[in-house]
Amino acid sequence: MSQRAGQKRKVVEVPAPEVEEDADQLDLGALNGDFDGESEEDADEESEEDEDELEDDDELASDEIPSSEDEEEVRQQFQDMKTSNGHSKSAQSLMGSDTAKDVAAIATDTPITPLNSDDAADIPNYTVSTDANGNLRYIYGEIDPVYDSDDSDAVEPGNTIGNIPMSYYDAYPHIGYDINGRRIARPAKGEALDSLLDSIDIPEGWTGLTDPATGKPLELTSEQLETLKKLTRNETPGDGYDPYPDMVEWFTGKGKEEVMPLSAIPEPKRRFVPSAHEHKRVMKMVKAIREGRIKPYRAPLTEEEREREEEEQDFATYDVWATEQPREDHVMNIPAPKLPPPGYEESYHPPPEYLPDDEEKKTWEEQDDEDRDRDFLPRDHAALRKVPGYEQFVKEKFERCLDLYLAPRVRRSKLNIDPESLLPKLPDPAELKPFPTTNTTIMRGHEGKVRSISIDGSGKWVASGGDDGTVRVWEILTGRQLWRLKLSKDEAVNVVSWRPGNAESSILVACCGESIYFMVPQHELCTPEVDAKSREILDAGYGYAATAAPAQKTSAGADKPTAASWARTSATLQERGCLLSLTLRTTPKTLSWHRRGDYFSTVSPGSSSASATAIAIHTLSKHQTQYPRLRLRGLAQTTCFHPSKPLFFVATKVKVRIYDLQAQKMEKELLPGARWISDIALHPLGSNLIISSYDKRLLWHDLDLGATPYRVIRHHTKAIRAVAFHPGGLPLFADASDDGTLHILHGKVVGDSLENATIVPLKVLKGHRVVRELGVLGVEWHPREAWCVSAGADGTIRVWT
Amino acid sequence: MATEDATAPAQQRQSQVRIHLHTKSGDIELPQDTGSILVSTELKRYQLSTLVNRLLETDKPLPLEFLINGQFLRTSLDEFLTKNGISAETTLSVEYVKALIPPIYSASYEHDDWISSVDVRSQRILSGSYDGLLRVWNMSSEVVGTGQSHTSSIKAAKFISPTQIASSGMDRTIRIWKYEDAQAAGAASLTPTLELYGHKASVDNIAVHGNSSRVLSASADHSIGLWSTKKAEAPAAPENLLPSANKRRKLSNAKQLPQRGPLSMLQGHQSQVGDVCFDEKDATVGYSASWDHSVKTWDLTTSTCVDTRTTAQSLFSICHLPESSLLATGTSARHITLIDPRASATTISAMTLRGHTNAVVSLARDPNTSYQMVSGSHDGTCRVWDIRSVRSEASDQVGESVYVIERDSAKGKRVVAGEGVKVFSVCWDKDVGIVSGSEDKQLQINSSKPSS
Repeated sequence: MSQRAGQKRKVVEVPAPEVEEDADQLDLGALNGDFDGESEEDADEESEEDEDELEDDDELASDEIPSSEDEEEVRQQFQDMKTSNGHSKSAQSLMGSDTAKDVAAIATDTPITPLNSDDAADIPNYTVSTDANGNLRYIYGEIDPVYDSDDSDAVEPGNTIGNIPMSYYDAYPHIGYDINGRRIARPAKGEALDSLLDSIDIPEGWTGLTDPATGKPLELTSEQLETLKKLTRNETPGDGYDPYPDMVEWFTGKGKEEVMPLSAIPEPKRRFVPSAHEHKRVMKMVKAIREGRIKPYRAPLTEEEREREEEEQDFATYDVWATEQPREDHVMNIPAPKLPPPGYEESYHPPPEYLPDDEEKKTWEEQDDEDRDRDFLPRDHAALRKVPGYEQFVKEKFERCLDLYLAPRVRRSKLNIDPESLLPKLPDPAELKPFPTTNTTIMRGHEGKVRSISIDGSGKWVASGGDDGTVRVWEILTGRQLWRLKLSKDEAVNVVSWRPGNAESSILVACCGESIYFMVPQHELCTPEVDAKSREILDAGYGYAATAAPAQKTSAGADKPTAASWARTSATLQERGCLLSLTLRTTPKTLSWHRRGDYFSTVSPGSSSASATAIAIHTLSKHQTQYPRLRLRGLAQTTCFHPSKPLFFVATKVKVRIYDLQAQKMEKELLPGARWISDIALHPLGSNLIISSYDKRLLWHDLDLGATPYRVIRHHTKAIRAVAFHPGGLPLFADASDDGTLHILHGKVVGDSLENATIVPLKVLKGHRVVRELGVLGVEWHPREAWCVSAGADGTIRVWT
Repeated sequence: MATEDATAPAQQRQSQVRIHLHTKSGDIELPQDTGSILVSTELKRYQLSTLVNRLLETDKPLPLEFLINGQFLRTSLDEFLTKNGISAETTLSVEYVKALIPPIYSASYEHDDWISSVDVRSQRILSGSYDGLLRVWNMSSEVVGTGQSHTSSIKAAKFISPTQIASSGMDRTIRIWKYEDAQAAGAASLTPTLELYGHKASVDNIAVHGNSSRVLSASADHSIGLWSTKKAEAPAAPENLLPSANKRRKLSNAKQLPQRGPLSMLQGHQSQVGDVCFDEKDATVGYSASWDHSVKTWDLTTSTCVDTRTTAQSLFSICHLPESSLLATGTSARHITLIDPRASATTISAMTLRGHTNAVVSLARDPNTSYQMVSGSHDGTCRVWDIRSVRSEASDQVGESVYVIERDSAKGKRVVAGEGVKVFSVCWDKDVGIVSGSEDKQLQINSSKPSS
């Protein structure tokens, strides 16, 4: 078999039937009608065909000559394989190597179109002729050795005379025969001169030897020479030469064990008899099928069914983007973040410049996880199989999931605005001096609550009235009590108020119970001149009712002229300076003067009093009381007069109404939004109104702006009892609350209607004690200075400067 | 030698600082300029004082105070430098002044009512009270004489001379009293000699000038009255301001006093006048401080307002410091503003003395030096100030008090808003010390003299 150079071995490999051990798979595959096909597969076992290329007729006579039957059988087998096993087998047949097997194993189902598969099978590679004996002779064509053929000996045809001395052919013009029996002509021998000349210019690879096989000068390439040299030195012939190549396992290995029967023992019977055990198992299955426990055929699951099946399993899966709508391609839509492709650093064998040196390693290790620029250190491994498991794997995957889950999908235009810059530019309180900051004087004397205070026009005296039924006058600077008058034993003085006007008169009004008392404090406070003038003012109204009675009847509110009675007080009170009293049927709780000091209005918000008599306007010079018909809805709370216009402000529980006294109509209605108004204060310019409410709010109304408040201030924690504007031109206002504090605020009103008022909270004045849920009951401003006076439920009056 | 003993070991381990000693008072000037002296930073006031006394070669050691950058040295130099962030490398300019002895509480005189005014003249203490009584006390806390003529609270009382007293009150009058001194309690007589009418509201403060027998009054009716204490000199009283007949009848001791009117009424203030004072050098010039925030300079001979300086606060008290040409005014803003009344002055406020926590209602000069004064405030303290002790702040020269005199009655109590202890009047006498009257009905004497 030394001349098996031309042999082409074709290995037809049929994959061995897989031993199916899994019961489930038995369900699917084994019972799928393939059960009886096992024998066929057995028969269709791997076969091998050796195809010998024969050169000589002589050799053809040997037993190796393939008979036509054999030939036909082989061919038939080929075709069977093509039809039955499809493309994979044809591919294997053509490739006939491990490669083919691998390909077949990888892609058993993928159709691979083998190169020239059909042509090669159809065109016979031989011609039929008759030989000398008259028999059929097959002359085979050249077999094209494909590149992966193991036919390593397919060299150019040489001399076929065999191992005989060449001297036998000395007498012949030829020196032998080639593979096809043609003579090989003896190369022409030149003259000795020619050969000398030839020997002079030595061609590449000249050895000076003559190839005895061809008679030509033997030319050896440098590689061949090198190989020869090495062989003489007992070395390996060349670089690529492996003296101990791995054995090619043609007939061993998985699935090929029985390709070559090693023993001649006939097949045992049990191989052909169905196994009892299997029969048992099959019968079990058959029984199960009959009972319906096993469904012999199961249609491939649809997507939904598969999902349902998965759901039935224990673990829950979450599709984060299940509800996600496809977004149109837009710059504002951000696709899910993509991981960057791995770089050199991530290689198992990175180039050395990517490997960290000791210092880098150290800094990386010292860094906090958050600060590291990458999560791993590049490491060098000799082989991929030496790469250990990645210890950060779970963490990295988790973070990747977080990235995907939490990453924004839409780019939102975020305004980068400093929140500080959105705050209104409020001036620094230090720039808004002066304003009251400290308590400078405490006036003690009242027993029980101080309900009301009032500062006289000169700014020197403070009048106060309280629960003990007394009216007291204090010196504002020293806190000295100068005058005191007890008006009632059991009723509280609800309101005290100095009559506005110039320094020529000094009249104090106090509401105690249902009466309103007019007093001229007989003290050093006023000169005899002032005293006389004040008495004159109070006395002016006497007799008016008698002389002008008819006129009074026709005037508004004539229905109840007797509802209020103006009278002189008792002699003892006269002696003490209380000169005139006005008795109403209801208890007045607030009193507000018109700026000229002739008119004043009282409000009796008590529920017992009829709403028609709740608000009364009194004329001091006429000793007259009128009840304007205002048709208010809700309890009247307080009133005030406009400083310059004939406007009258009436506050009910939730509304403030502005009446024009001249036109006798309602001018405007304000809806501050408070639940219960406690007090109102009008700016000295008359264009702004502050409303305090028991529901802790302070509401600034710009009368030019509308019915709703311009600003709502909620700084107090308890009800606000009173509010007051500075009357002397300083842009200050203060409120008094049940939480025991006064708040001083800057409220600058500009005459220009284009500019809104600026309101700046300035100071919280603490000092009053909270007594039975009541804190500060009243607040008043000094007429010129930035001083304010507060009346506390703790019985003190405090001056703040 | 004690100094050297004290400093010698200190020099070895402690750092040293260069100081340059100088003074403004001529009598204690160093015989020759010493230049800068290297001293240990361990030194305190006492050692420095000893050092200067040695340099001055005085027979009797003179207690001295040291001013560095307008602050009195109260700690060691080292602590002072650390606290103020001054490098020890620099040469310190140290001004030394005669020490002010801290005022020590010596006595309290009990009254029946709030004390509105105090004055001291030749060992007699005059006090006016809100009960309308004028009392003269001797130094052994006895009332020497009592005067009752005012129908209402007395707001101000001053000695015109050791035998003459002026008082004013809420009854809108100023009364001139004749005082005959006596030693025993109650022996002295205090008789009113003149009633001065003219004000329409409470007369809150008066200023007297004995030599020219002039009285200036500050009233709540926005006017300032110029009065003469001489019966013959004064014009007749305005009729409309006299008390009505029936009221006068009520007074039991109705002995008709001579009633006179003002020499002139100075109108110009927009609000009530807090205090008035005469120019210490020129009795024809008066200064007034008003609640309308202004200080006015009056030429009393022509009764005209010469100059007006407006500040930012209501002014309650005024005091003239002639040597430094300054007017000290106590304000409602709890500080004392020093105003330069001269026409050449560019800024209104020359200096601000801070420390009080309530209105400053009374000011009195130190009779010994021209740099110090005492103030009485509604916060219940009197504070002693030295106008040399001053430092510069952003916009102003700011001074701090040297000593604080608290009320003896309020020791250890926390006082809110000066309640019960408001000081209404303060006076500083050379011999007696600082006398203050207060809401606590105590006339308190704090002596600056070392108790013997």
